[in-house]
Amino acid sequence: MSAQPELVTVTIDDRSVQVPKGTGLVETAAAAGIEIPVFCYEPRLGAAVGACRMCLCEVEGMPPKPQAACTLTAQDGMVVKTAQTSPMAAEAQEATLEFILVNHPLDCPVCDKGGECPLQDLTFRYGPGSSRMQFPKRTFEKPIPISPAISLDRERCILCYRCTRFSEGVSEDGQLVAENRGSQTLITTFEDEPYTGAFTGNVTELCPVGALLPTQSRFLIRPWELQAVPSVCGMCPVGCNVSVETREGKVRRIHSRNHPEVDEGWLCDKGRFVYSHIYARDRIVDPMQRAHRRGFGAVSWDEALDEAERLIRAAGTRIVTALSGSETIEQAFALAQLLRRGVGAHSAVLPEEFDESLAAYRLPLSAIADAQAVVVLGDEPVVERAPIVDLWIRQARRNGARILDAADKLDGLDRIVLIDSGDGGERIGRLAAKLGLAGKDGSGAFYLPETANGRGVVDAWAAASDDEPVDPEPIGLLIVSGDEAAANPDVRALAEHAEAVLAITMFQGVVVGWADLVLPGTSYLERDGTYVNLEGRLQRLRRSVIPPAPDELAWISKLAERFGVGISPHPAVVFEELSAKCYGGISYADIGEQARLPARSGVTAPSTTARKAKADNSGGLRLVRYRPLFSGPAVERVPEIQFQRPAAEVELSAKDARKLGIANGDEVVVGSNGSSRELRARLSRTLRPGTVRIAEEHAEGLQPQVEVSKSNA
Amino acid sequence: MAEAREIVLGGAADHDLTKLAEYEAVGGYTQLARARAMEPAAVIDAVLASNLRGRGGAFFQTGRKWSFIPKPDQNPNPHYLVVNADESEPGSFKDNEILQRVPHRFIEGCLITAHAVESQHVFIYVRGEYLEAYEIVVAALEELRERPELRGDVTIVVHRGAGAYICGEETALIESLEGKRGQPRSKPPFPAISGLYASPTVVNNVETMATIPPIFQLGPEEYAKLGVENSAGTRVVSLSGHVERGGNYEIEQGVTIRELIYDLAGGVPGGRKLKAVIPGGSSTVVLTGDEIDVSYDFDSLLQLKTAMGSAGVIVMDERVCMVQLGIRVSEFYEHESCGKCTPCREGTRWMTQILRKLEAGEASARELDLLLSVCDRINGKCLCPLGETAATAVASYVAKFRDEYVAHLDGGCPFGDDSPLDHVMAPVAQHHHSPAAVEVPVG
Repeated sequence: MSAQPELVTVTIDDRSVQVPKGTGLVETAAAAGIEIPVFCYEPRLGAAVGACRMCLCEVEGMPPKPQAACTLTAQDGMVVKTAQTSPMAAEAQEATLEFILVNHPLDCPVCDKGGECPLQDLTFRYGPGSSRMQFPKRTFEKPIPISPAISLDRERCILCYRCTRFSEGVSEDGQLVAENRGSQTLITTFEDEPYTGAFTGNVTELCPVGALLPTQSRFLIRPWELQAVPSVCGMCPVGCNVSVETREGKVRRIHSRNHPEVDEGWLCDKGRFVYSHIYARDRIVDPMQRAHRRGFGAVSWDEALDEAERLIRAAGTRIVTALSGSETIEQAFALAQLLRRGVGAHSAVLPEEFDESLAAYRLPLSAIADAQAVVVLGDEPVVERAPIVDLWIRQARRNGARILDAADKLDGLDRIVLIDSGDGGERIGRLAAKLGLAGKDGSGAFYLPETANGRGVVDAWAAASDDEPVDPEPIGLLIVSGDEAAANPDVRALAEHAEAVLAITMFQGVVVGWADLVLPGTSYLERDGTYVNLEGRLQRLRRSVIPPAPDELAWISKLAERFGVGISPHPAVVFEELSAKCYGGISYADIGEQARLPARSGVTAPSTTARKAKADNSGGLRLVRYRPLFSGPAVERVPEIQFQRPAAEVELSAKDARKLGIANGDEVVVGSNGSSRELRARLSRTLRPGTVRIAEEHAEGLQPQVEVSKSNA
Repeated sequence: MAEAREIVLGGAADHDLTKLAEYEAVGGYTQLARARAMEPAAVIDAVLASNLRGRGGAFFQTGRKWSFIPKPDQNPNPHYLVVNADESEPGSFKDNEILQRVPHRFIEGCLITAHAVESQHVFIYVRGEYLEAYEIVVAALEELRERPELRGDVTIVVHRGAGAYICGEETALIESLEGKRGQPRSKPPFPAISGLYASPTVVNNVETMATIPPIFQLGPEEYAKLGVENSAGTRVVSLSGHVERGGNYEIEQGVTIRELIYDLAGGVPGGRKLKAVIPGGSSTVVLTGDEIDVSYDFDSLLQLKTAMGSAGVIVMDERVCMVQLGIRVSEFYEHESCGKCTPCREGTRWMTQILRKLEAGEASARELDLLLSVCDRINGKCLCPLGETAATAVASYVAKFRDEYVAHLDGGCPFGDDSPLDHVMAPVAQHHHSPAAVEVPVG
């Protein structure tokens, strides 16, 4: 790797500090234990802009006026005086605060940001004690809902441009812009359209005042009353590190807990806003059973476990378990032990396929940003599966990397990262072996699984027994673990052929009508346990709020006793056993709050299971259905993010569109023998010719090969 | 008796120099051929020897600026020449006349400069309101299109601004040219290292460009002898306000302001008393009527803590209310502040509010102090010079006419509605001195 950076000595307020050359002055001062206050400065947004002027300092040898420290970097022999020792800097700092406050509404008592507001804190520490402003303050209409999820208060805004810089330079959507000029400048969305996209919520966390706030928690929180639980998001395989913040036992918001190798402090809107699904009206809080005449109704836990025992014993080895990939590894392991060791029921519908050979090409996600080439394979948009990976790829492109859709033109490049959303990672496993990436620093491969912990669930299921499953016919009992499995049409199809169905779900809407016994499920926000993310990093979920019913591990352990299988109700204990089998014996405590990435394994041959080609080559276009980021049982239960759900669109390559005489925005009919859907056409520059892409929820009834034609209407 | 000395505008009185043929008839484009026969470094040396300083207002040595551009082997990115024709300073209208009357001389200067800094790309950023100037420059370039031997391998793009004063600041101009919001960048890096599209860029003023061919025609040493020490050569000065014959006058630097007003512009109309002169456009510190015997050059004006700026001399007679002048200037800067940095955005608005209260006779002595304090808190804290010059200009009105400001505290404006500002800082009908000057209706 690179050589040791050159160290330089900088004197700040008479304290001498050594830092690598080029370190920002704000960070240099922090290293010396000195604060240089900032508002607009945020290194994750790109080069410093020097807009707010809060960081003004006196620097020897520079023009005799205050300098914006955020735009300067440490040079050897530099002598800097902050407001602590320089009257000039102190006056400048006070001037900046006075100017910011001149038109600020000072409505701190009713502002959600109050208590964690940099403006409030810096005013308290450095600001003037009284105001000299006696004119009417500037007013704006407020609040402006820039989307159903975010509200904007332009009077509180101090125009630091963090939000517009995020939109322009990080998510690269260009939707948030500044309008007008001078003191009339205001933040708005381009053409006043709602601010949409996977990452909008980040601006609520970037905003240094209470100007951009999530509507979900507006007027519901006082920051000092929040309790923060360090956990991990359970909504996709990235596993962003989050701080789940609760008040009076309820989750009130989710903030990022920057893991620089995983998420760099960004979250997607699903991870940030979906938490309120745990308060959905159809949340199951008691076990429910179908009974003759009485219909579907709540039963006691004793009755429920009796019935579960009866169903399991009756079906014996003829049980099939459908897993969601949202279970913790402990929960999946416990369920597997109960069924596999208890009654020898080995058959399962697993959420993922995962090629273990990829462990030889393991990398932190942050390595994408430093790559020279990023090869993105697969038909599904990265952002829909693993949103933060999309941000890492964008950063790589800004850093000069080539972003390719095929593994060619790689000659002479050192750091190559492969990313694939198809076929369990087998394809990139073979490709990585061919390119010899195992021995190359900064090179590696990522498969993007479909589910948050599908990898871990597969590990856990396999660890419980070595016996080979035999597909039972007919199915005696179908156990449906989790809402995602319950919402899966393939699992529903199995249920049709099962003699009985036991479902473990959070929501009634998902299972009413076809399950015989329902046990309440819990959310990732309500459990302790471990997830394995797409890098192969083990990360800990921590229980942030008490679930309305005992969690899965608690009752699985009780049920297992009836089958003579000893399973601890404590995730830590279950983990130790599982870790010894799968994860090199790492202990629960060792995972910590900011998990490390395990070392690469040795190179093994990629799996050689020949997968059947799905295309039937009957002409027409190949349909790619994808599961959109904003979909699924949890998303459906959060009103504030419904606007983010995919439009009824079909994506076409420009080439195919031209051939078919279809323009962007045209109404088209997508059909395959017998069924058809009316959708709006959207031309894509990245889609391969010969394919069309439709979100799962708009592709119902369509076959793998479709015809597209312009609508006559 | 001071006289005009026309070098930049030379020949334009007798010939229609907007036509390529006529410009060539008076020796046009021969200096381009001479410069191209020289090594780029030799061209830069010649301009250094002429001691030409930038005519946009910062007075930086042009040859030195060019010498900061890395050589192509030091930076493989394209090099750009960006010409700042976004002349928006109230009181300045010289570039407009240069573009309209000697467009080919200006273009010749651009092409010589492009050769000196080894650039094949010239961008001319023309103030949006300068439609006539734009059309004349485009017509001149059309003529050049037929003459590949003059054009060489240089592409010239003319871009019209969209009406923002701040885009006359070089980094805001570059942002605007890149299609972004016109806001200044934090410097360093300077444009010479990372300017347009993050590439080495020279940003020069229109008059600077139009001065290049005459420098080669006269010879750099001869040119350096014009004017006074440190302020070599001529300047096109815009005279406006309360003078008999407002307009642009090209003079050798070193003429006094009194000569400018009384010899060239015919003095103050109606024999009225001269009250104040703003010597270099709205952003400069005001001079009282007693300070006008100063030589019009960089060093002499610096001694009076003011500047030539963009050479807009604004003359005000005894009827002018200095508080109303303060409001006009402050309103302008409040309106033109880009909104990026805090002191300028919030401070200029606050200044206007206080000044309006003063004019209404509702302010106390404490608020007059507050005005100066606000100016002081803006000054030196901003990202670019816009806010700073607003503060220093207004503070200079208070400092030099304090009695008049104090008189406003007690019962309001002594001038009432009889303070005629309509000819001050607006290019109006009185600027008809030159045949091509732009006419903007009063009102």
